[in-house]
Amino acid sequence: MAVRSQAALRERTKSERKKRMWRNRWIYVMILPGLLYFLIFKYVPMFGLVISFQDYKPFKGILGSEWVGFEHFERLFTMPDFWQILSNTLILFGMNLVFYFPVPIILALMLNEVRTAFFKKFFQSLVYLPHFMSWVIIVSIGYVMLTMDGGIINELLVMLGLPKINFLLSPEWFRPTYIVQVIWREAGWGTIIYLAAIASIDPQLYEAARMDGAGRLRQIWHITLPAIRSVIVVLLILKIGDVLELGFEHVYLLLNSMNRNVAEIIDTYVYTAGLRQMQFSYSAAVGFFKSAVGLVLVMVANRLAKRFGEEGIY
Amino acid sequence: MNRKPLSLALCTATALAMLLGACATGGSNNASPSASGGAAPSGASPSASAEAPADEKPTEITIMLPLNTAETPPDRIKTEVEKLTNTKLTYQFFPADTYEEKLNSSFATGTLPQVTYLKNSTTFLLMREAIKDGQFWEIGPYLSEFPNLSKLKPEILDNTKVEGKLYSLYIGRPLARQGIIYRKDWADKLGIQPPANVDELFEMAKAFTEKDPDGNGQADTIGIVDRNELVYGAFKTVSAWFGTPNYWGEQDGKLLPEFMFPQYVETMDFFKKLRDGGYMNQDFAATSKTDAVKMFTSGKAGIYIGGSMQDIDSLNKDLIKNVPEAVLDVHSMVAGPDGELRQWMIPGYNNVILFPKTAVKDEAELKKILAFFDKMMTPEVANLMYWGIEGVHYTVVDGKAKVSDDKELVEREVKGYKDSVIGEAATNGMYESLNELPGRIHAEQLIVENEKIGVKDPTAALDSATYAEKGVELQQIMTDATYQYIYGQIDKAGFDKAIERWKKDGGDNIIEEFNAARQ
Repeated sequence: MAVRSQAALRERTKSERKKRMWRNRWIYVMILPGLLYFLIFKYVPMFGLVISFQDYKPFKGILGSEWVGFEHFERLFTMPDFWQILSNTLILFGMNLVFYFPVPIILALMLNEVRTAFFKKFFQSLVYLPHFMSWVIIVSIGYVMLTMDGGIINELLVMLGLPKINFLLSPEWFRPTYIVQVIWREAGWGTIIYLAAIASIDPQLYEAARMDGAGRLRQIWHITLPAIRSVIVVLLILKIGDVLELGFEHVYLLLNSMNRNVAEIIDTYVYTAGLRQMQFSYSAAVGFFKSAVGLVLVMVANRLAKRFGEEGIY
Repeated sequence: MNRKPLSLALCTATALAMLLGACATGGSNNASPSASGGAAPSGASPSASAEAPADEKPTEITIMLPLNTAETPPDRIKTEVEKLTNTKLTYQFFPADTYEEKLNSSFATGTLPQVTYLKNSTTFLLMREAIKDGQFWEIGPYLSEFPNLSKLKPEILDNTKVEGKLYSLYIGRPLARQGIIYRKDWADKLGIQPPANVDELFEMAKAFTEKDPDGNGQADTIGIVDRNELVYGAFKTVSAWFGTPNYWGEQDGKLLPEFMFPQYVETMDFFKKLRDGGYMNQDFAATSKTDAVKMFTSGKAGIYIGGSMQDIDSLNKDLIKNVPEAVLDVHSMVAGPDGELRQWMIPGYNNVILFPKTAVKDEAELKKILAFFDKMMTPEVANLMYWGIEGVHYTVVDGKAKVSDDKELVEREVKGYKDSVIGEAATNGMYESLNELPGRIHAEQLIVENEKIGVKDPTAALDSATYAEKGVELQQIMTDATYQYIYGQIDKAGFDKAIERWKKDGGDNIIEEFNAARQ
């Protein structure tokens, strides 16, 4: 009896679900392109990863190429500079987290305090415009400003009676140059999401706080920041997933023979060793390794976020 | 949001999408150049292609090539070429800056078109393995069937052979066009003669820096301007003057890389002294070609050693905009410390074209394509592609081509095709250029002289498996060490250590393999 009613119940919910699905059929249809996109461009290509276990020859194809097992991974891990390159990559990533990540949040909070709509729009456009310049242009501007052969900054140093600094060709200055350029180009763009999150905060909260005598800083601390906290966490986790994606182009353009020991990262190495020498399998193996590291880090970060009572991203 | 982390983590895999595609097209294309190829009844094909009947259907050919201008040229030249050669051409232009990537990805996915231009001799070296794997048509056996193609210079064809077989047609360039381009007005003012040896070159750079050659009373000039490039920048040209071999040289009967020779170290010392003294741009290891050229054309630097002396035309054009009274000249006969004259010599080609088997299905198709290139090597077609339309893009003066004053028009409509012409004036019969700038005329004379004292790269046609696999990576070690030595970050001992590392990481194998290949 009980079993039958349970089965009947299941039957009922099933038919209800069907009905619900039918009612929402157009929404499901709308999902389709997205699903197809991920299937075709994200999932199917994963089969391509098999070439990292092969000696891939384009004209023989994946089916015809020879299997070599973990040879390419061994080559990567036993490369003399492997740890150097990995640590360079991680240090740059760490700098991104520490120096770059908070900047858009601070900028968004500051922009939010600008009361005149015109100035708010004006400053917002001003700070996000650099995002539309390519790295080549950003790095060229950097070169013109920093070069010892008449660069503005070195000329200034000379005027102040200080010695010239070799910004472009010294290992010590690579990382500061890198991070300043990242902040300059990306910070304004990064604020957009935070500003959107701030805009969705109920103004009544602020009114109530003002009634209670809260000043501007108090309002930021007790209302704005908690309200955008989950956005910050989500963006942080996503950023961590990108741990080994530091913007190949930017680093490659700044890289030279004098700063290679701090500037060579996995991406630039893959470019020289892999693609410029047409070693597709080796490059794929390095890419695979990168993705694996990213996946592990995202999972760890997500778990941590949940432990601290946040939603996480999945 | 659910799918996000996974897709993110694997986003690099998107790049592999292209690779997967290759699986579909890759299939089996090892159709070896059929035995009938060389032995085909010779009467049938040779000249028949040259005088094809007018009603024959045009051959459709797809061509991929690098573009050195900002925009894809209009069809004006193409249409004329199609008429002359009875073809229907599809040009796929890709910007030269990113051409290597395009080449790589098309190659990896098996989507190279019938005619594939490479970028330069370096990309050609990289393709050697693929060529050896049999992915491109061997064209050597067919060449004799085409009257014009068989005019191509054998000594340059030899430089492009892979394991003794010919797979490519070449775009010719003078063998030795290196030298210095300098401010003749500055030299005259300071009473300096063009440098006869490397010491005088140093003195010239010093004088240009210290003696206020532009006479504005300020110490704002430098001698040599160089860029972040050891080969096509100043270093290799000067190192040849010092007597360093061309990439590889012989010592005690054995081939060794250039950096193991004392002359290489002398060259590094030369540049170190130049930089320490402030006689060249301090940041040259981080200076792009654009920035180096800008420094020269703004009148700040006096000597440009950037590869080709023919660049004097464009340098002059930009320089006199900024400094109207400037006069440029070229010079290349600079003796080494031992008093000998030498020049670095390139293999005589700037680029080559290959015919992928994935796109060219059979011998008949290959022959039709070769027939097109055979026609490209007639003066009529070569002139059209190299100089443009007579009366519009150029005029003929004294049997030479004088480029129209509307440089922008020529650049836009002709340049894209100009860089694709097979052979050189001597083989395809096109007009030589009419030079008006005295410095350029001087450059052309020196290029002829240079060839007589040219030093060849003995490994140009040799194979080394290790070099193919890690040559670029290994060379980076030595390039870095060279800059670090010039900048004083390492000393001779440190440089020797870099050589040891180079040897250990695979250099020893390369030495062995090149020496074995020479036997």
